[in-house]
Amino acid sequence: MLNVRICVGTYCYITGGEELAKMKKNLPEDIKDKVEMIGSACLGCHDMEGVAKPPYAKVGDVLIQECTEEKLLDEIYRQLGMERK
Amino acid sequence: MLNKEKLFIEVGSYQNNKHKNIVCGDSVLLRKCVGENRNIAVLSDGLGSGVKANVLSTMTASMAMNFRVRHEPIIRTVQSIMNTLPVDSVRNISYSTFTIVDVDSNGEANIVEYDNPSLILVRNGKVQQIEGSDTIIHRGNANTASLEERRLKLSNITLQKEDRLIFYSDGVTQSGIGNMDMPFGWGDLVYDFVENILKEQPQISARELSMKIVKQAELNDILRPKDDTSCVVMYVREPRKLLICTGPPFSETKDKYLAEIVSSYEGKKIVCGGTTSQILSRELKKEITVNIDDIVAGLPPKSEMEGIDLMTEGIITLGALVEILRKGQPTDLSGQGPAWDMLRMILDADIIDLLVGTKINVAHQDPSLPVELEIRRNVVKNIASLLETKFMKDVKMQFI
Repeated sequence: MLNVRICVGTYCYITGGEELAKMKKNLPEDIKDKVEMIGSACLGCHDMEGVAKPPYAKVGDVLIQECTEEKLLDEIYRQLGMERK
Repeated sequence: MLNKEKLFIEVGSYQNNKHKNIVCGDSVLLRKCVGENRNIAVLSDGLGSGVKANVLSTMTASMAMNFRVRHEPIIRTVQSIMNTLPVDSVRNISYSTFTIVDVDSNGEANIVEYDNPSLILVRNGKVQQIEGSDTIIHRGNANTASLEERRLKLSNITLQKEDRLIFYSDGVTQSGIGNMDMPFGWGDLVYDFVENILKEQPQISARELSMKIVKQAELNDILRPKDDTSCVVMYVREPRKLLICTGPPFSETKDKYLAEIVSSYEGKKIVCGGTTSQILSRELKKEITVNIDDIVAGLPPKSEMEGIDLMTEGIITLGALVEILRKGQPTDLSGQGPAWDMLRMILDADIIDLLVGTKINVAHQDPSLPVELEIRRNVVKNIASLLETKFMKDVKMQFI
């Protein structure tokens, strides 16, 4: 099971985390059972001010900054070693 | 004597409009005089119903309240009200009823009643009437023929723990008039109703009890109330405490202190803020789980942590809470989402401790973000003053 964590802290939430969290219900059929999507109150990225930008999400141990649905799905497929349809 | 540290007076009220009316002709005003530690509640029923009644009762209630707050003698208060109220063009009288209840920190209740149904005291689950003396007041300069004198009932009583004072407008006692089982209205049958509720729920809050009485009056009229209906309950009880903790401490060295306060607090606990949650999770070594399955009302989802009753996101949720609080006592509590969950917990509490970390989240100062992202200190200050003025809560604030 691949662990995906979406930050729903204030900053991440208003910069797009809300849409990412809602993806949980609409994951593509082929990866639905291979991914465990959970929320996080804060991934603790505040210190990266100037280096990285919200919203953040973590796929396994990989942190994605300025995360979008596309970026998130790409990373999930990459780590599962699957071809994205 | 009421022990100030241990006892508390919860004041709750509920109102319902006459069928098809958009405003209530009764007015209820509640005020807490923080410095003097007094709780004052005023209920006024304006002549007739609708906007005209609303204006009359609002004037009466606010005059009565303001005179009372300033310790003006009751005779002067009543004369001023009588001389100020406009004369009704149809009935040719200036008239509205009122009940004023003033309870101080020793449990001394000072009660003035004029033409409302008699106030009741509930002690040990039994309804009692309070004995009082009648005072007749003459109208100062009467040009109108009728109603030159008014008979007030004045009474005093020392309240004990678990006592309740209940008073209502005649919409309650006259509900159900003409029904088979209550041809002359609900009247004194209210007493049995109250006693029965208290038998089942001895700890029922003032808010819930006042709501139950008004809702039953509505049922008596088969959901079409024939008059405006209001009820106020004052309940002397052991205070229920609630801690709302939001924001990381200004200095990281205080993180431990924050965690200690939260874990040792006796009462319900709410934590607002991702970073704050993270600090507590780290210090108390407890896992946080965030449920992203249901995102309601556009607010970030709730989290869960052992030992915390409610854990939410910070500033957006608090902002939403302020919006709800601004509207005053809600009549419908079925709202969904974290802000409403907070409100429900707040309404059930008497003493609210706000523990506020003052560290500024630099990221939130980004000018491209919505202006609703206010500085935590201001939001919390707003919440505190709303809870004191509109909800009669005892609020303590601590900044770390």
